[in-house]
Amino acid sequence: MKLQGRTARFALLGWLIACFTFSAITDPRLLSGGVVVVAVVFRGQAARAAQRALSTAAPVTLAILALTWAHAWWILHVSPDLYAYAALALRAGLLAFCTFAVLGAVDLFSALAPWPTLSRVLVVTLAQIHALRLLARESWLGLQSRLVRKPTVRDGLANAGGVTATMLTLSTRNAREISEALRSRGF
Amino acid sequence: MHIPDGFLAPTITLPAYAVAAPLWIRAARRHFGPGQVEALPAVGALTAVAFVLQTLMIPVPGGTSTHLVGASLLAAVRGPWVAFVCESLVLLIQALFFGAGGITVLGVNALAIGLLGPLAAWMVMKLLAGRFPKLAPFLAGYLGLQVSTIAVAAVLGLQHALDPIQLPTPFSVVATTMLVPSLLVTGFVEGLYTMFAFRIFARLHGKTSP
Repeated sequence: MKLQGRTARFALLGWLIACFTFSAITDPRLLSGGVVVVAVVFRGQAARAAQRALSTAAPVTLAILALTWAHAWWILHVSPDLYAYAALALRAGLLAFCTFAVLGAVDLFSALAPWPTLSRVLVVTLAQIHALRLLARESWLGLQSRLVRKPTVRDGLANAGGVTATMLTLSTRNAREISEALRSRGF
Repeated sequence: MHIPDGFLAPTITLPAYAVAAPLWIRAARRHFGPGQVEALPAVGALTAVAFVLQTLMIPVPGGTSTHLVGASLLAAVRGPWVAFVCESLVLLIQALFFGAGGITVLGVNALAIGLLGPLAAWMVMKLLAGRFPKLAPFLAGYLGLQVSTIAVAAVLGLQHALDPIQLPTPFSVVATTMLVPSLLVTGFVEGLYTMFAFRIFARLHGKTSP
């Protein structure tokens, strides 16, 4: 059962404060403690949140750290500062972990209910994203099936240009239809 | 291209929010009108377009691929303020639902990717679309992306200068890592894509300049 209503809003507020607080911490021990606290508080979501955090935050953070490490080692000929690297990796991981844990525990649309404008924008956007992604996917599959060879960069770009123009036209039409539907329901 | 959570301290992220917030309000009021019924679907639909554009992967030589940003195209077609609102919402959705970017860095990312890049692209279109209608969208896409990349690299460089313990990556590494692929590959891909999309959109709607 996800957190709803006022409890969910408090959880989101706590998450915002926690994110800004974590982003200011540079001590790896404190950040490790933060990971433990988040894991205990959101133990129901911890495993899934950790998995998502590892798959999204870890690749970017580790790639950047590897580049900086290589630069310090080979070009500057200095030993990299382990403390700062550990803190950055932990901080990025903790923020992603905390975000996924909180958002996994909260019913976002119930929490956003007092702000109907934001809720409606999110609902319309997510619905449109789903429809337009299908259009883009089908268009790419269509391009692949029409060509006897593998699509080149130019083919890909021309196809993306065509899909975009279609999406812009479609989104204008959809926006008009949605606004008429909202008006007919008394908004 | 956007900065992940944890890389910037509140000394940068909070002032960025303070700068972005009034701009979000101004952009939303100016371009999406006072009536919610008309405005909301337009914001939602265009944000969805901007979001889906960033999921379109284009193969590049060498067996890898790059994704489009599309902010320059949105600015060329709808203006920089519309691009700013829509790109900001894209960044919010990516942070909330997909774990990309983040909530603390939303203001910085929105200003760099949603405002500065599209503004540069829109200015290029304003200046050149009349004289060079075919070249202008390409340059708008190419330069818009470079401006966003430089802005992101500059903010990361500033964070390193302010507190190297917070971000140990020096500006030289950030700039090289971000600008070389952007100048040599991604910029051309974005420019060509903007040119193709704008040409087809202009053919459909008879639009040749922002």
